[in-house]
Amino acid sequence: MEHWIEILMYALAGTLLGGFLFVVPSIHFLNFSGVIIAIWGHYHGLFPADAPLTLFAFFMGMVVSFGIMNTIPSMFLGAPDESAVFVVLPGSKYMLQGKGYEAAMLTGIGGLLGILFLAIISPFFFFALPKLHVILGPHMHWILGLIIIYMLMSEWPKGTGKGETWWIKLKGAWANLFAGIATFGLSAFMGFLIFNRTMVPAKMGFQGLLPIFVGLFAVSSLISSILSKQKIPHQHITDTIDLDYKTMWKGWMPGCIGGFLAAYLPGVTGGIGGLIAGHACAQRDDRIFVMSQGVSKVVYYTGQFLLFFIPSYFFLNGAGLKRGGMAINLGPFYKPTLLQEYVFIFGVVVIASCISYLLLSFNSKWIIKLIAKVPYQKLSYASLAIVVVMVFFMPAMLEGTINSAVLIAGVQVIGIMCVSTCLGLIPIFYHCRRSNCMAVIIVPICISMAGYGPPLVNLLGLG
Amino acid sequence: MKGLTHFMSGAAVASFFLPAVKMAGAERIGGASSFILCLGGLFGIMPDTMDFKMGQFFTKSEYEIDPDPMDPSPQEMAEGLGKALDQAYDTNLPVKAQMYPMRMGADLWRQYVINFDGEANEVVIVINEIVTTSQVPILGSEPPPEKRIGRYKIKGKFNITHGRPSVVDIMSGPMYSFFKNDDGDMEIEFLPWHRTWSHSYVLGLMMSIPVWLIASMAAGWHIGWLYGLIAFLGFAVHLTEDLTGHMGGSLLWPIIKPRCNGLNLFKASNPHANFSIDYASVVIILFNLNRFAPVPMFTLNTFEYFLYCLIIPLGAYFSIVKIFGEKGKKAKAGVVAMEKALAREELEYEAEESMGGD
Repeated sequence: MEHWIEILMYALAGTLLGGFLFVVPSIHFLNFSGVIIAIWGHYHGLFPADAPLTLFAFFMGMVVSFGIMNTIPSMFLGAPDESAVFVVLPGSKYMLQGKGYEAAMLTGIGGLLGILFLAIISPFFFFALPKLHVILGPHMHWILGLIIIYMLMSEWPKGTGKGETWWIKLKGAWANLFAGIATFGLSAFMGFLIFNRTMVPAKMGFQGLLPIFVGLFAVSSLISSILSKQKIPHQHITDTIDLDYKTMWKGWMPGCIGGFLAAYLPGVTGGIGGLIAGHACAQRDDRIFVMSQGVSKVVYYTGQFLLFFIPSYFFLNGAGLKRGGMAINLGPFYKPTLLQEYVFIFGVVVIASCISYLLLSFNSKWIIKLIAKVPYQKLSYASLAIVVVMVFFMPAMLEGTINSAVLIAGVQVIGIMCVSTCLGLIPIFYHCRRSNCMAVIIVPICISMAGYGPPLVNLLGLG
Repeated sequence: MKGLTHFMSGAAVASFFLPAVKMAGAERIGGASSFILCLGGLFGIMPDTMDFKMGQFFTKSEYEIDPDPMDPSPQEMAEGLGKALDQAYDTNLPVKAQMYPMRMGADLWRQYVINFDGEANEVVIVINEIVTTSQVPILGSEPPPEKRIGRYKIKGKFNITHGRPSVVDIMSGPMYSFFKNDDGDMEIEFLPWHRTWSHSYVLGLMMSIPVWLIASMAAGWHIGWLYGLIAFLGFAVHLTEDLTGHMGGSLLWPIIKPRCNGLNLFKASNPHANFSIDYASVVIILFNLNRFAPVPMFTLNTFEYFLYCLIIPLGAYFSIVKIFGEKGKKAKAGVVAMEKALAREELEYEAEESMGGD
């Protein structure tokens, strides 16, 4: 392979840049890729034209580091993204026991095991997945429908069941279920609006989802942290992690299944995949859960992008497989066609994951020191300020300029973020599942795949 | 079985119907695709949904034990449960008792453990630490030893069916039904509202009739029956799977009301049994989607397919479980805390005995 040194250098640059960048709440690799592509539009020398794989190596490094590193803002700074939201509950348990570092490293080990899974499953990607895709492709809508129904049906009442009459008991117990259904319905409705008549400038493309996800998951969590006034106990940094092979196996299996489901099924995130796989494997231990979410996240993000590198000649229609925003963002620039390119990019994945794991330990340690010095609430306020500024200036960063149009666009995305924040607060206040917020993406995709999109759009007057 | 297992099984059963798979396929000519296969999954999870989301709130109990979270008395709690047992013993009639959790604040709960001691025929209540909603105990928050354990010796003898101690902390508490069996021993039925009327083939049939009618009116009488049939089969497969466990169900309610026992093959929460059935469901769905596809992608015969895709992978899975699996059971943190408290009580008793001499 020619240009391998350049490819390696770009991979390292992507990994290291991501390793430090993704510690900041709400920075997602999809948004950052938009900014980089915009900068590339202005400075064409950013990536060598004769070595297109450098672009992919850079972003693959970034995707891998995001998959491992986003535990830090989720767990330590209380600002999860759409995939990490499930790590927060057991993660906060660990934090309250002073074992946040251990939990972060457990997700990191899970991430490395996720890469191992991707290595094992690669032959399946070439020989079985293309066939499977032909069988499942026409049935994707009802498979997503099954996931939606299960998400709604598998949430159980959380009320104490106290009351003089059956009605009082039922009402108390159903409060969280009603909240869950309301969150789901409102999120789905917002998804329809965003997908069919968005207020976000069309140029933002995939970045249009940024204010929604940031509002639903990150800002709502930060507001909750500020309101709860929770004090974080002293965090212990250990030299060793208490982990045996059985726990690793038990966390690995659901994580791999969940991550793969999320990587392959459109609209399903690592968190939802992990939740379903966790139910399938019926594991209850917190350590297993935390680790499986680490596996799931990395398999989801990395696996999704890796699917893009399966040579298209393995597919009957010769079109290959595009899953996730990164493949869609970069698809127009180059389409890998050789098996050698897959192997090469997998090498990048391995290097990036090892570096990211080391960076996870390093970053967790200084974040823990920061938490010890700065009151947690102040940190939450600071995180919130960073998030708001990031979202406001996202259109400007994508345009590469500041003018009145991008500032108005900034106000618009802040408006969308505020609405989605309100939605994201419902599950926090009423103790229902936060995964209900994912209806924002999974429901519109499911309905449009089934062919009901246009009539529904007309019915809602969005056409 | 777990909810997901019933759900997946329901969808797998639905996939056996060629017209349903054809209607669900996106390549269908002449309109949008159907979600009919989801109906199997929906009705597969329905019996437990009716129990846990509805039925439990309609069940009345003779005794409601709602301890004071700020100053709980384990002795009063044990006496409350014990009196319910004694009433059932004296009257020969079933008596239900509902235990409630102790909520101390928005995010704080007092944990306690209920144990029916079959050897001493005692109801034992042990109050543990305060826990957060994430079930993290706040160390040192347990009551002093004299306010920690309550005991009540019942009139009859236990014939324990629910041997494990119940840990009560967040959200909700268990309901028990006590009754005297033919031998005069006291039986304890855990969650008496569960797997009764909702786990009946008759009810499944009755619930599939509206599905048939609505679908027939919407899609036509020629195809509406399929919706009703898939709904019934999804429901029925749940009840049949539950028979593999300990509890069984009231399969022919309202014709025959008592709950029959299960086959005791494995516990409903058994991860390996659940995973195997989930995996088998996926394999079956793929098999059916392929054979009903306009051009099937793989042409293995049925035996070869299930050998390579189901039997060999599950064989490998169970071999790994057999070699590396758990030996023995891990107790819940609350139960461990209870056992420690009881052990300390015993030690103190023995110490007092030895100090007092003969």
